[in-house]
Amino acid sequence: MSTKEAEPKRVAYYKGCLASLSAKELDTSTKALAPQVGLELLELESVTCCGAGDIHEAEPDYYVHLNARILAYAEATGCDTLMTVCNVCTLNLRQANFMLQGDSELLARVNENLATVGVPAYSGKVEVRHFLWEIAEGEGYERLKGAAHKGLKGLKVAPFYGCQILRPSKIMGFEDPDRPWSLERIIEACGGQSIDYPAKIKCCGFPIIAAREETALGEVIQPIEQALEAGADVMVTPCPLCHLSLDAWQQKLEASTGRAFGLPILHLAQLVGVAAGLEEAELKFKRHIVDPRPALERLEV
Amino acid sequence: MQVGLKVWRYDSGTGERALREYEIEAPEEATLLDCLDIVKDRHDGTLAYRKSCRMMICGSCGMRMDGAAVLACKTRMYDIAQGGRIPVISAMGNLPIVKDLVVDMDPFWSKFKAMWPWLEPGYDRPDDGREYRISQERMNVIHKESLCINCGCCVSECNAMESDPEFLGPQALAKGMRFVGDPRDGATVERLERYNQEHGIWDCTRCYFCNERCPKGVDPRDAIAKLGAESIRLGIDRDMGAKHAKWFVRSAETTGWLREEELIPKTQGYVSAIKQLKFGYSLAKHGKVRPVPVPHTAKDVNEARNLRKVVREQDRGGALGHVQGERALARLAHGHAGESLEEIYARPGAAPRPFLPGDAEGGAVSPPGAGGSADGASSVSEGSAQGQGSLTQADVTPGKEPTRKRGEA
Amino acid sequence: MIAKHDVLVVGAGCAGMRAALEAFDAGADVAMISKLHPTRSHSGAAEGGINAALGNAAEDNAEIHAYDTVKGSDYLGDQDAIEIFAEEAPGDIIQLENWGAFFSRREDGKLAQRPFGAAGSPRTVYAADITGHVLIQVLWEQVCKRDIPVYEEFFAWQLVEHEDRCQGVVCWDLLHGGLKTVGGKTVVLATGGAGRQYRVTTNAYACTGDGMAMALHAGLPLKDMEFMQFHPTTLYPTGILLTEGIRGEGGYLINKDGERFMKRYAPNALELASRDVVSRSEQTEIDEGRGIDGSVLLDMRHLGAERILERLPGSRELAMTYAGIDPIYDPVPVRPGAHYHMGGIETDNDGATEMTGLYAAGECACVSIHGANRLGGNSLMETITFGRRAGRSAAEWALSHTTVSVPESAERDAEARLRALLDRETGERPWKLREELGNSMLENFAVFRTEEGMTKQIEILGGLRERYPNVVVEDKGEVFNSDLTQAIELGNMLDTALCMVTAGVVRKESRGAHARPHDYPTRDDEKFLHHSITRWKDGGVELSTSEVRFTKWEPQERKY
Repeated sequence: MSTKEAEPKRVAYYKGCLASLSAKELDTSTKALAPQVGLELLELESVTCCGAGDIHEAEPDYYVHLNARILAYAEATGCDTLMTVCNVCTLNLRQANFMLQGDSELLARVNENLATVGVPAYSGKVEVRHFLWEIAEGEGYERLKGAAHKGLKGLKVAPFYGCQILRPSKIMGFEDPDRPWSLERIIEACGGQSIDYPAKIKCCGFPIIAAREETALGEVIQPIEQALEAGADVMVTPCPLCHLSLDAWQQKLEASTGRAFGLPILHLAQLVGVAAGLEEAELKFKRHIVDPRPALERLEV
Repeated sequence: MQVGLKVWRYDSGTGERALREYEIEAPEEATLLDCLDIVKDRHDGTLAYRKSCRMMICGSCGMRMDGAAVLACKTRMYDIAQGGRIPVISAMGNLPIVKDLVVDMDPFWSKFKAMWPWLEPGYDRPDDGREYRISQERMNVIHKESLCINCGCCVSECNAMESDPEFLGPQALAKGMRFVGDPRDGATVERLERYNQEHGIWDCTRCYFCNERCPKGVDPRDAIAKLGAESIRLGIDRDMGAKHAKWFVRSAETTGWLREEELIPKTQGYVSAIKQLKFGYSLAKHGKVRPVPVPHTAKDVNEARNLRKVVREQDRGGALGHVQGERALARLAHGHAGESLEEIYARPGAAPRPFLPGDAEGGAVSPPGAGGSADGASSVSEGSAQGQGSLTQADVTPGKEPTRKRGEA
Repeated sequence: MIAKHDVLVVGAGCAGMRAALEAFDAGADVAMISKLHPTRSHSGAAEGGINAALGNAAEDNAEIHAYDTVKGSDYLGDQDAIEIFAEEAPGDIIQLENWGAFFSRREDGKLAQRPFGAAGSPRTVYAADITGHVLIQVLWEQVCKRDIPVYEEFFAWQLVEHEDRCQGVVCWDLLHGGLKTVGGKTVVLATGGAGRQYRVTTNAYACTGDGMAMALHAGLPLKDMEFMQFHPTTLYPTGILLTEGIRGEGGYLINKDGERFMKRYAPNALELASRDVVSRSEQTEIDEGRGIDGSVLLDMRHLGAERILERLPGSRELAMTYAGIDPIYDPVPVRPGAHYHMGGIETDNDGATEMTGLYAAGECACVSIHGANRLGGNSLMETITFGRRAGRSAAEWALSHTTVSVPESAERDAEARLRALLDRETGERPWKLREELGNSMLENFAVFRTEEGMTKQIEILGGLRERYPNVVVEDKGEVFNSDLTQAIELGNMLDTALCMVTAGVVRKESRGAHARPHDYPTRDDEKFLHHSITRWKDGGVELSTSEVRFTKWEPQERKY
């Protein structure tokens, strides 16, 4: 642990749709963990969905404006960083942000439209960063090492990145999209043992799980199968959509393959939260379809 | 330099696979393709791979290095060799292997041909027998898609295609956008109807591997998103994928947040969704969904609602909403800082500044566009300020040219 | 014979696809044979543009285009062909545009045109710096639309001459193995050039003169083979092409001191003199010690980032990838590199060769519109205009004749040669010969030529040709045996190279790309205003000459 406790970093916190509803446990665990890793969260209230790639696909001009609105409210908090807890939000916000930052005419038009509906202007100064990046390097990482005092006692953790935190790398830019390291670093810092397997950077199928379930299931099975084969006790992901796909649709995979997988999927904040000693009230494991508590029990011994 | 390579060999006759390792001596400027040539010439003449132009335009030499599709001719080996890494070279994915690094491209071209990959002119030929006039700005809509060299690197990595081999996939759909986005084409609606079928646009799982691997900057995923936007703009939205996408828009303007619990019924229809009841119940048990969805409404959501109204009146509908951002996003890859010419000439180690014989060294340098000293020999060409690869292609405004689209009659 | 067609086009680059489209539209049953997939053809690597006197950017007409071409050819071009070419080019461009070619546009919505070397007007229609790519795509799209069959990855090896006419081609099926003969009432050769004879070349690996060699071995004349164009701006050290469009957009050539040396060689046209002139100037700078590592510098810095990214993005990508240089910040080292065969299979203005039923178009052919030196932007145009004409005449002949037959002996002969190659267990690997060929051609038959060098090169080629029958193919398999096809390609390059140097040594003058500054520094119209003709006879080259066809331009001194 660093000897001198720096002031916490103030970040505008955008929780996105899932953490507001089906993945409330992501929100509660992130909020509970934040102070321990040196983050002060200023939760954005006057914000909407980022569009999740769907508005980007359906009405791209509206997508730019919706995200500009989120960025504008983030900027209004006075924070330099807009922190996300979801891959899809991260890509959508970063992409819109670069579009606006790199094109003054577009920014001007968008700001004019924002003004028309009563939204403050966006100057282009906010950086969008995922919670993962905040604790994988720098001060956040130093704090994390201290916070994870309980440790994971060698728990075998399969990191699952998903897509939109790595690709397109020119927009994400945090780490090598083919050889990412951030989740592994965090797992190790928490005293866990990270498991390697090829599908960790592949797709969870979520974007088409409602419209093309069979195709999506063909994707979901890969990381689950490979991680179990590599001996994983649990899997961790920085994305609540990947989480929903891997956790909730696992039962459908079990039904269609006749196999019992039972691989618990943890949100990143939950995994670190376990190591940091958060309580069930904050972790809310009971909200998971595949209950992680049995796998985590041995940590209590 | 010493270069080590491990190559997955494959013999279609016996079905045998073997990982062979080669150690070669190569010049420092060598690409992966150069290294394979050295292996084939001097070590093992039986190694099979495709090649031709060796300048990343013919699209022959797509293959995988350490599991990632690359053009062998674009991949310089110096850093890898210096780093002591021995990369594993294998054939592209999602296509049957013929021998070693050679894949059967027939499935690839079948999908290409399924797109009706040719222009169906939707304009009247000018009476004077000359070219149809259209602005560069309007043509720039398909600038990126027109860069595709059909190498297959995107297809190799497509996650959706791994799961659904019939998926048309990133290259075919990018080719489709090359025509849907072409303001000269008159078959937009027919094309979109076709691309909206099963295994089409809405099969894309947005893994972004295609954008990541494309060696030419085509960004096929973005092309697919443009097709989606054009489909919805033209009301071609029967597919569940389109309904799914539209539900996000509806959610954003009504409650602000995604109305998650209604997503499946809104996507699949209520009848199909009934089949999901058991699944829904298991989610409800864990608080993932609520038995009676009560919209959870974002603060100031009226702003988001009004914003949509404002935006929809501004002629940036459909794919143009994507195209307007391409200029800025391209800058991310260009990586230049906008120095002045003087600053560039003054950089440490810079090559001498150009001068004409007779002028003092370092003397008069003609500003760009001013031409050389003699009869306009180096005068710059005519043409619009927005060439292909344009930095200003954001300025895509619908032109005045009467483009008659079939199906829009 | 696995199949027969009215028209069989060998090669599927711009000329081949254009010929096939025309033959199809004329009502013929047409098929294409190519050792590559059509979009892999080297036409796709053409960058700068395609010339047609549209007059969009400045006053221009077919006559000026023809004159520039005649002058550029150093008066060796056949003027009737050149006039046809210049007149029909604009219509061909409009047709490409109607097919969907994505050309760059002017503010007024017309096709943009940029200045190119030795052109009296900005005449070069372009698509940024990927014009060839755009043409290959649009032609392929039209091939798909017509569903014209392609025998893909078929390596054409030998023409079938039967009953005094060409009736098909014997091929090696690269993908599946085996000799396959495809019959055709007419055959159009459109196989491209042979730049791989040189170590430093802009050409693809596929450019090995296969069509020229097939014609040569069938007894047909190759014309003006000594004229190999060296492109002035090929990237050091790989020889990868950087388009003339860079200079068209205002790029400078400088020596190590920063001097725009072209002022001393071509005081009016400077960097936009014709290619032979610029290449010689560069080579002189390099030879006289004003180069850097055997190169001069192509400087685009003053064009600015915006213009480079807009008009020359592909060139920037090439420089960054293959030389590690960003042309926004640093000039790019370039040198002359083998680029284009002005010579080739002799044809008439409709692509017909001496053999009934055999036609040729594109770089493998010699009509001749390029004479001793080709202008930038004229070769893409030639592929289209003469590809179309060859396709039309091949279809017309085929539709008025009915039978195709291939004697068994044709395949037997090829089978015997194949066996000889495949069954040989020991010998030299082809790369050694290929390397010696590439190095020696560059040394002895490049920008500047000497009697001594050429004589030496004929000896070297003799030695290589003696060793060639002993090359060993390591891959004995059927499937994708590129070891075999590369060995055959080597033979094609050796024989066509011998034609080039043999024709070169007897041309005791300097004309266009054939420069002999030390012994014959000037053009000699008295003795050498004629085409050279090379034929294969008794395993060697037989030389003769033919008349240059004049219409209205008398030879004059050529200055830029």
